[in-house]
Amino acid sequence: MKKRKKLPYQVKRKINGLIFVAPFLIGFIAFFLIPIINTVYYSFNKVGVGDTGGMTFSWNGIQNYVDLFKTEVTTTSTTMARLFTEQNRDMLISVPLIVIFSLFMALLANQKFKGRALVRLVFFLPIILGIEVVTSMLTMTTGTESLDTGSQLVSGSYITIFLVRVLDVPMRVLYPIITYIENIFTLISQAGVQTLVYLTALQSISPSMYEVAKMEGATAYETFWKVTIPSIMHITLFVIVYTIVQLFIASPVAEEVYAFAFKQNKIGISSALSVVYIFNVLLVLGLVMLLLRKVVKKNEK
Amino acid sequence: MKNDDRDASLALYLFKKRSKKTVLKIITTVLILGLCFTIILPILNLVPVVFSSIEELGNPNVIWLPLEKSLVSFKAAIRFILPNGFATMAKSVLYASGIMLVQIFFSAMVGYALARVNFWGRNVVFFMVILVFLLPRQSLLLSQYIYFNHFDVLGIMDLFTKAGEVNLINNPVVLVILAVFGFGVNQALFIFLFSQFFKNIPKELEEAALIDGCGFYKTYFRIMIPNAVPIISTVAILSFVWNYGDTYYTNYFSPNGGFLSTLLSTTFSSANKDYVMNAVRTWYDVPLVPDMAFDAVKQAGVLVYLIPLLIVYLVGQRKLVENLENSGLVG
Repeated sequence: MKKRKKLPYQVKRKINGLIFVAPFLIGFIAFFLIPIINTVYYSFNKVGVGDTGGMTFSWNGIQNYVDLFKTEVTTTSTTMARLFTEQNRDMLISVPLIVIFSLFMALLANQKFKGRALVRLVFFLPIILGIEVVTSMLTMTTGTESLDTGSQLVSGSYITIFLVRVLDVPMRVLYPIITYIENIFTLISQAGVQTLVYLTALQSISPSMYEVAKMEGATAYETFWKVTIPSIMHITLFVIVYTIVQLFIASPVAEEVYAFAFKQNKIGISSALSVVYIFNVLLVLGLVMLLLRKVVKKNEK
Repeated sequence: MKNDDRDASLALYLFKKRSKKTVLKIITTVLILGLCFTIILPILNLVPVVFSSIEELGNPNVIWLPLEKSLVSFKAAIRFILPNGFATMAKSVLYASGIMLVQIFFSAMVGYALARVNFWGRNVVFFMVILVFLLPRQSLLLSQYIYFNHFDVLGIMDLFTKAGEVNLINNPVVLVILAVFGFGVNQALFIFLFSQFFKNIPKELEEAALIDGCGFYKTYFRIMIPNAVPIISTVAILSFVWNYGDTYYTNYFSPNGGFLSTLLSTTFSSANKDYVMNAVRTWYDVPLVPDMAFDAVKQAGVLVYLIPLLIVYLVGQRKLVENLENSGLVG
């Protein structure tokens, strides 16, 4: 009988490492790779229900994609092209707003003042209140509009009236700004985790950096731009990517995927929409990462 | 004379500095109070609605406090979303905690291997984790649904045959399976957090353990896990909150599971409005139910639903910042 050779330590370690990631790898193949391949496959087929109850496929080429953008409409009867443009346009505005806002809140929560613990308690409430069920349920469906989450507080306020009547600011300019201020709760409710991450980043900046800056005679403004911002730049990439992912998850496209598949029974169309959606997400994230890598690198030097 | 001059300019300088400080302080205080107010406002807005008696709803004179206090809305909400009393809530809490434990156990393992073990194809696996995090889960909903509808362990080939397949939809096992294999709620993010944490643990700790005769598993369970308490508690809080609040996996893969989040979102969907209002009318003998009663009951339901979350949040919040700071994400 041959004596079994003992495996060297490093090889054993590697095998153990593979055992540790094995569940994820199985999951990746079963719940990610196969579904993706299936989705792409469905999107090129006409999917129907067979006589025996199974699914039938007949090759359809890119007809599903053509139909998706030419003939199909969403549940709110807008075209798909419009749905995607609106989705991406909203993203372009919301992402910087959410990121800057969360940084702002983190900066405020990082100050030293009495009752800081209480303020932090409130500031991180959006982690809970931002859950999709809660935000969708907290809105009123009936009654006067002023009961809606904080809206109409601004448009009816004296400041707005002053701006319009006395300074003659055109409503065209004012309106988008007012809409955003009135939707501030929506903004905050999406900034919970980001604020948390930024706050921890701010707290991990070594106090000696600030001391040096003070010794060198830097003003608070200079300290912010030369010390604080470069120190949190690397985490900003994470925050931005997280925000984009979060916004895509909550996007109305997802509902359309569901509506096509389960309400209208158009599995081919629904899959085609999913594929377009995946490309959209990857494109946006790729662009953002490409742009940001340069900024982050420049700041780290 | 000269001395006086200097004193005067010093006093002026000090005054300027102090007033600048005061102004800044006032501005920050106002900003902080304003933000706190904005965050709490939606909750404050609920007070006159949920605590009001049904008949009084929609009274235009009411702004902050209801005229006639009553708990009818709460009673109705509890009757709707807690059909089995607090057992329903306990079930949801237990479900969220269970999934949380599974998620922590398996994400920590993957995260550790990714951070500390230089196995073959590590970078590829890391890329997979990022990819899973980036792609919105809904894009795969349909084929995942079909997959579970015709669940077949043996292979992909007979995925669509009638025999030898199990319909796992509506079976809570699906949710556990997803968590075990790394595809629960936001699990790729948790794996990423764990790997960032384990990367920053000093190498000497592992080496010392090895010299003392600890194997791979012993090192992991006896040395690494006890050292990972900060990141474990952070992930625990986030995981609990997200699993308890999850409507995506529960709605699609286990719609009849009776989870609180699902009950809340289906009972109070706008299509269900008439049913809710009729129920309130007959249960509490209110002849004229105003439209807003639906909202009142709905919001009361949200408040009931939030109780466990608020408890977890109040207990865990203080640690959250502290722990994440030690978690290596920002280091």
